[in-house]
Amino acid sequence: MILDALQKVFRKPAYVVIALVVSASVFVLAVWLPNIRLVAGVVSSSDVPFVSKIQLPLSLLGSIGTNFTPLSATYTIAIAILFGMYIAMITYFLKRRIREVGQTGVATGFLGIASGVLGVGCAACGSFLLTTLTLVGAGGILTLLPLGGSEFGIIGAILLAVAVYMIAKKIIDPQVCKVEN
Amino acid sequence: MEENKETIQKNTLAMPIAVVIAGALIAGAVIYSGGKAPASGTANQPQQQQVAQQTGDLEQMAPVTSKDHIRGDINAPVKIVEYSDTECPFCKRFQDTMNDVMDTYGKDGKVAWVYRHFPIDQLHSKARKEAVAMECANELGGNDKFWEFADRLYEVTPANNGLDPAELPKIAQFVGLDTAKFNTCLTSTKYDKHIQDEVENAQATGGNGTPWSIVVGKDGKKYPLSGAQPISAIKQLIDLASK
Repeated sequence: MILDALQKVFRKPAYVVIALVVSASVFVLAVWLPNIRLVAGVVSSSDVPFVSKIQLPLSLLGSIGTNFTPLSATYTIAIAILFGMYIAMITYFLKRRIREVGQTGVATGFLGIASGVLGVGCAACGSFLLTTLTLVGAGGILTLLPLGGSEFGIIGAILLAVAVYMIAKKIIDPQVCKVEN
Repeated sequence: MEENKETIQKNTLAMPIAVVIAGALIAGAVIYSGGKAPASGTANQPQQQQVAQQTGDLEQMAPVTSKDHIRGDINAPVKIVEYSDTECPFCKRFQDTMNDVMDTYGKDGKVAWVYRHFPIDQLHSKARKEAVAMECANELGGNDKFWEFADRLYEVTPANNGLDPAELPKIAQFVGLDTAKFNTCLTSTKYDKHIQDEVENAQATGGNGTPWSIVVGKDGKKYPLSGAQPISAIKQLIDLASK
């Protein structure tokens, strides 16, 4: 069923482009997140040569191999791909049945990306997750988590997968009036 | 019919609510981590923590002096000031990266590497004692022994609070320090303030995770660098800071 839905959506190049752009954006943002201040500063500075404005942010993308554990790199990439797919599929769905959009796992999808962001931040020691948990007064919870916060990223990937499944189900679902039993 | 209406209303509300929750979480985290620092983990210093949370300015970086632990020439045009946690796995990795950087840029005096302590107690309760051990190595053997001790410590620790404290005197012995004096030093509290000052300085400059580095350019311009970035990114930043 899910494959049928994927084929239906992604045989149209426009949705492939949407998925690729969103996935790439999520991935780049996730990897740049700890250094967003540096990237913004370099890109916006008039003193920095144009080549450096391109090369430095690009070189920071290599941190997926150095500033992430194999587990966090895996779920970061999974979250980026799933979110790209999800947005493309929801766009496809919106163009057809806008009233039913609430049943397509939108809540699940966005909670997935929110949870994923927390997990991504945990890639660097204490950076994003710790500050977020401290913000809500739960900094100590990290010591109780067996994976040290990667749980959030894993939950994020699962929620997004569920959201993709839900939208796929809705896309395949024929538009008929069902007889109530 | 009424039930259907309610379901549609609930489903319609689900999207904005989810977006608001997600947005609030992300925005809160971005704002909070961008300009503030996490708790130092020392519950008896709420006032100092509060001060750190109100800042996040690179210009608050304590100036590099001869009292710092420096690998390379203190007068190098580019200085990389690293705030590090010995039990952080990314700091362990970054130690190797920085050693490679120094092999390339340190010999001819282009780059100096300044090491400062930033133990994150909430994650790595053993890191602060290890920072004391590094200071003891410095006290007993000077700057060279400090770096030898640091290299060995990062080499043997499995990270994530995995180093047995009994290894510290063994590391001291390995680098040629007097272990009796080292152990005496390790039990003292004389470096606690120095380490805490560096933690607070890291936080004041915007450090909210480790490794946290500030690349200081020839013209004094400062570039923040968070995490164990690849050597290609460090080289780009050095080139930029050299101009």
